[in-house]
Amino acid sequence: MTQPLLKVDRISKRFGGNQAVKETSFHVNKGEILGLIGPNGAGKTTAFNMIAGYLESDTGDVVFEGVSIKGRKPWDICKAGIGRTFQLSKPFGDLSVRENIMVGGFARSADRKRIASRADEVVDFLDMKDVAEMDALDLTAFDRRKLELGRALATEPKLLLMDEVVAGATPSEATEMVELVKKIRDTGVSILIVEHVMHVIMNLSDRVIVLDFGNLIADGNPHEVVNDPDVMKAYFGEKYVQQSA
Amino acid sequence: MFGSATTLERALILIVAAFLVFLPSIVRDPYHIHTATMIVYFSFMAASWNFVCGYVGQLSLGHSVFSGVAGYVTVLMFTQMGLSPWIGMLFGGFFAAVLSLAIGFPTFRLKGPYFTLTTIAFAEIMRIWFENTDNFIGIPLKGSEGLVVPLVGDSFWAFQFNEKLPYYYIALALLAIIVIATAIMERSKLGYYLKAIRGDRDGAEALGINPTKYSLIALSISAFFTGIGGAFFAQFFRYINPERNMGIDLSIDMAIMSIIGGQGTVLGPILGSFILHPIAEVARTSLGGSFLGLHLVIYGAVLALTVLYFPQGIIVPLRKLLARISGGDVK
Ligand SMILES: Nc1ncnc2c1ncn2[C@@H]1O[C@H](COP(=O)(O)OP(=O)(O)O)[C@@H](O)[C@H]1O
Ligand SMILES: [Mg+2]
Repeated sequence: MTQPLLKVDRISKRFGGNQAVKETSFHVNKGEILGLIGPNGAGKTTAFNMIAGYLESDTGDVVFEGVSIKGRKPWDICKAGIGRTFQLSKPFGDLSVRENIMVGGFARSADRKRIASRADEVVDFLDMKDVAEMDALDLTAFDRRKLELGRALATEPKLLLMDEVVAGATPSEATEMVELVKKIRDTGVSILIVEHVMHVIMNLSDRVIVLDFGNLIADGNPHEVVNDPDVMKAYFGEKYVQQSA
Repeated sequence: MFGSATTLERALILIVAAFLVFLPSIVRDPYHIHTATMIVYFSFMAASWNFVCGYVGQLSLGHSVFSGVAGYVTVLMFTQMGLSPWIGMLFGGFFAAVLSLAIGFPTFRLKGPYFTLTTIAFAEIMRIWFENTDNFIGIPLKGSEGLVVPLVGDSFWAFQFNEKLPYYYIALALLAIIVIATAIMERSKLGYYLKAIRGDRDGAEALGINPTKYSLIALSISAFFTGIGGAFFAQFFRYINPERNMGIDLSIDMAIMSIIGGQGTVLGPILGSFILHPIAEVARTSLGGSFLGLHLVIYGAVLALTVLYFPQGIIVPLRKLLARISGGDVK
């Protein structure tokens, strides 16, 4: 097999007495959608922050396209080809939706015309044409999420890290987001996605990994993982597993 | 805000600009020309402050240090080396820009009140140092007494004029330059980046933006212009001292005028100065003797009202009104 796009090798993070992530290793293959699940506080966002340069791992290494990116700054990691979204989307005010997307475009080009036309493409891709000229702060919560995705896409990432993009969405919005994520993958972007809504993860992921209390407890295809007794225990508690056994 | 201006707004801007250019042919009284010059000067200073603070969303209350230092550089280069203040002014501006990098590098990592307090501390330390230093490695700073620019008579080269009028037009030219510079910046990568940093610093970083780097670029340009303004001020009064040219009052003026007019817009700071300076001037001349610092009380009151009713500055309702008059859409 060829080398993975992203290789996370024994990364850890300790906050005071709290070991948020503990010697965790996993990888993302080219063209893959990898789902990362785990109960609240399991360390998923912390792992994202260590990959994207917002936190530096206490141990191990993060290797992207064969090069270590551990200790590099978020803006350098963006330029290396990793995009990310946050659990809370905050659009840039006093800029329209289209201009918000253009902000991402400057990472790849200095040519205003090219950036503007690329932003138009992204607006089309997200199906946000009718809100494109609106001030981004006036968007609905779901459109804010889509915009944040659009901004990240404008940086032309090879790998996209998405943190809980359907949190708080209605079922029809969740469906739209699932289609959008698949469409992004079809353009050749690999995706690491954290999600709480189980059917979204089941629907989207080629492979699923599970974090619990900072430990990786499962790695496999979505159906295997969901039926894994350790995973059930992490999600539903010891009792549930004993009852159904 | 320039790019999205309606036709009526553009027309109004042109009318105001034309009015300012022809004002001296209507008003000839030197006192009024003097006041008009001060309004234009404060517009320029507020706009220079806004260039970084308004767009990146950080409140500096230490900008007067750039004005003061550049003013001293200009005056000293003239008195000690015989260099024309026009050249000294540029040196002063560059000096202020370099100083701003030294101050900004550690402070731009701080947020909100921590940033503000640090800018005050830096500026006040510099002011106090100037006030207590008569001679620095042979350079006669003359402490709190300040420096007088020796009179050489009407001379363009020496930046000295018998009439008030040339000063007025120099200030107006400076104002035109900062307006154009801000409008260009707003439409450039720097403008987009500053608004992104203001909106969400972490989010900006994820899009390839190094917030410290771009904040510092904007700060150094802002400090350069503030320094030019400080040099102008020193030439206009032919006098410079730490309190007036470097004191916190000036920093507060720049910030409050921008905030009241509308920070993060090209014309807001100018509007703020046009509203506030005349009010302060009237307060000072009619009641100043009996009520010291009255203009600050008025500033406070106007600021409180503005923040309550127009938190984004008076320019916002004004633009809405203009849009309604011209029947256009309100963005
Ligand atoms: N900046 C931080 N400082 C201290 N503790 C943190 C910080 N970020 C996260 N934590 C802690 O680390 C653990 C993992 O958090 P997080 O990665 O946000 O979990 P998840 O995203 O899986 O819900 C939690 O116990 C959380 O309280
Ligand atoms: Mg999380």
